[in-house]
Amino acid sequence: MQIPSLVSSDRFRLLNWITSRRSARIILPFLLMLLCGSTLPAQEPGDETAIDKHTVQLLMQRIDQLEARVRQLEADKQEAGAASTATAPGFPVARRVDSLESTLPVQPSPDTLKQALASARIPASPAQSERSQQQKDMSERMDVSKTLLRIRGFGDLTLHGDTHKGDTTSFSLGQLNLFVTSDISERFKFLSEIVFEGGPDTIYGVTRGQANLFTTDIERYFMQYSPNDYVTISAGRVHTAIGFYNTAYHHSTWFQTTTDRPFLFNFEDRGGILPVHTVGVSVSGLIPSGRLGLHYIAEVANGRESRAPLQEEPVANVVDEENHKGINLALFARPEAFRGLQVGFSVYRDGLEPPSSRGVEETIMAVHAVITRPTFEWLNEGVVIRHSLIGQSKAYNTPGFYTQVSRQYGLFRPYFRYQYVNVAKTEPIFPDVGLRHGPSAGIRYDVDEFVALKFQYDYTFLRQQPGIDSLSLQLGFTF
Amino acid sequence: MARSAGLLITLSVVVLLLVALPREAAISMQPPKLEQNTHTEPLAIIVNRSNAVNDLTMVELRKLFLGGRSHWPNGRRVTLVMRAPGEPEYKTILRDVCQMDETGLRNHILHSLFTGEMLVSPKTLDTPAGVRKFVFNVPGAVGYLRLSEVDDTVKIVALDELLPEDGKYKLRVEVAHAN
Repeated sequence: MQIPSLVSSDRFRLLNWITSRRSARIILPFLLMLLCGSTLPAQEPGDETAIDKHTVQLLMQRIDQLEARVRQLEADKQEAGAASTATAPGFPVARRVDSLESTLPVQPSPDTLKQALASARIPASPAQSERSQQQKDMSERMDVSKTLLRIRGFGDLTLHGDTHKGDTTSFSLGQLNLFVTSDISERFKFLSEIVFEGGPDTIYGVTRGQANLFTTDIERYFMQYSPNDYVTISAGRVHTAIGFYNTAYHHSTWFQTTTDRPFLFNFEDRGGILPVHTVGVSVSGLIPSGRLGLHYIAEVANGRESRAPLQEEPVANVVDEENHKGINLALFARPEAFRGLQVGFSVYRDGLEPPSSRGVEETIMAVHAVITRPTFEWLNEGVVIRHSLIGQSKAYNTPGFYTQVSRQYGLFRPYFRYQYVNVAKTEPIFPDVGLRHGPSAGIRYDVDEFVALKFQYDYTFLRQQPGIDSLSLQLGFTF
Repeated sequence: MARSAGLLITLSVVVLLLVALPREAAISMQPPKLEQNTHTEPLAIIVNRSNAVNDLTMVELRKLFLGGRSHWPNGRRVTLVMRAPGEPEYKTILRDVCQMDETGLRNHILHSLFTGEMLVSPKTLDTPAGVRKFVFNVPGAVGYLRLSEVDDTVKIVALDELLPEDGKYKLRVEVAHAN
């Protein structure tokens, strides 16, 4: 008995609710959706018609493109006609498109368009396509609203701890590197590395600057002119072509297998002993040598500043301290028979004029033999730095080497490195470095396509000092 | 104690890597076995019609794709055209020409651009028509297409003196049969 009453009361409530303003907000959109839903099938007359409409749309776009091209070609034709009154050879493509336009009805059918476009699809001559591309390139370059710059970033964060007295376990922000390039033209290219890095700097063993202060360095900055594979001329600040590592790895830990560079190739402001950067001109290229794959590099540059008086900046960026220029010659081979192998040597000569002595002649000889493949690398380099005191028969030879081997297993890459540098106590330029050698072992894990996590243990033997154990955990990335 | 543990870890890593060395040398990039319902089609290397080069060796082609050569003999800069990663043509080029996997090639290109050895990054295009159009328009372009997708807007270069129509032509792309 109660059921009808319930039903009738519910019906009454429902009627009230339907007529209320609140319900209208819900019901109206719902009805609208139903209406749309019901009309949708009506808009599907058949696949063929839909395809035809789509085809027509595409073809109309194509017509627009062709019209634009016709306008461009006509403009070119007028220019050519103005330059010469002789009968111009004309542009077959333009004529073709002209004739195409004239054959098109006001509202062309898809079939007519297809036929017409198919007949118009005759290739332009190579010279025309080349010219067209050059014009396109030029118009893009002339468009000041477009930038020619390409930027890629690199960065890292490291947690480092060691047993050296006075050191603390710290999280360290690594170099934030903006790798900026620009294809200025087909033969000219600009390349730079703008690096933001935390201090302090350690130059020739002396620490300067505040520990947590970030500074900006232009690490590489050069123009490259490359007319062919045999000559590439670079002018600006480059990494000196001493050995292999310095030209293969720059300011990005993500590219490197290890968390740090070998001590031998440390940057000048991080206590390095080589003139890693130099400002000048470099010529490099292939030497026609068949399967031997010989390459050369010749550099003339300012060279480095002498250590004393201590310089704020060890690279002679703007003013050289003497007229003598540093010269570097390098030769290396990449034989075809052994994939990934590179062997070579380099000789660097410069003159240093520290106030504490009459002058020092610097000769750096380097040899390397490396195998670099996607899943395997074995790097071996040896360097001898010779400092001869001018006017004296005395010379100081500083030998150094490192060997590094690694192998990729899926996302993991275990590696091992042994490095050695031995500087005499009485060495005139960097006696504070002394003897240091020892192994490093670690593993790199490619977390993601552009993110790598590295864990590394180092042990460093020092002359007449306790050895140093150190652990590093590094997150390197590119973006 | 810590020192000896460190040295032990170091020694273990060295042994591991030395064991891995001969394995690495033995790895060769064998073509995959054909799956059912598939056949192979020649993969043609194509260049702009203005390019005077008619023949390349596999080593020369590898250098072009890996940035070892950046210019054509006429001085034009080489512009590489790649199909999108994952396409059968891309896989063939990775396996038979570059002899590395996708990650390896990507890292190699990034590294070569970073060192300045590679002058321009490769252009990736999604469709055969896009590849044809790009190669047609860019004088220094080099790309690849299935032989059936090539038309007279581009030029096919021989590989080790063999044209794609030749039976012994090396570059072949695996194609699924149409049902």
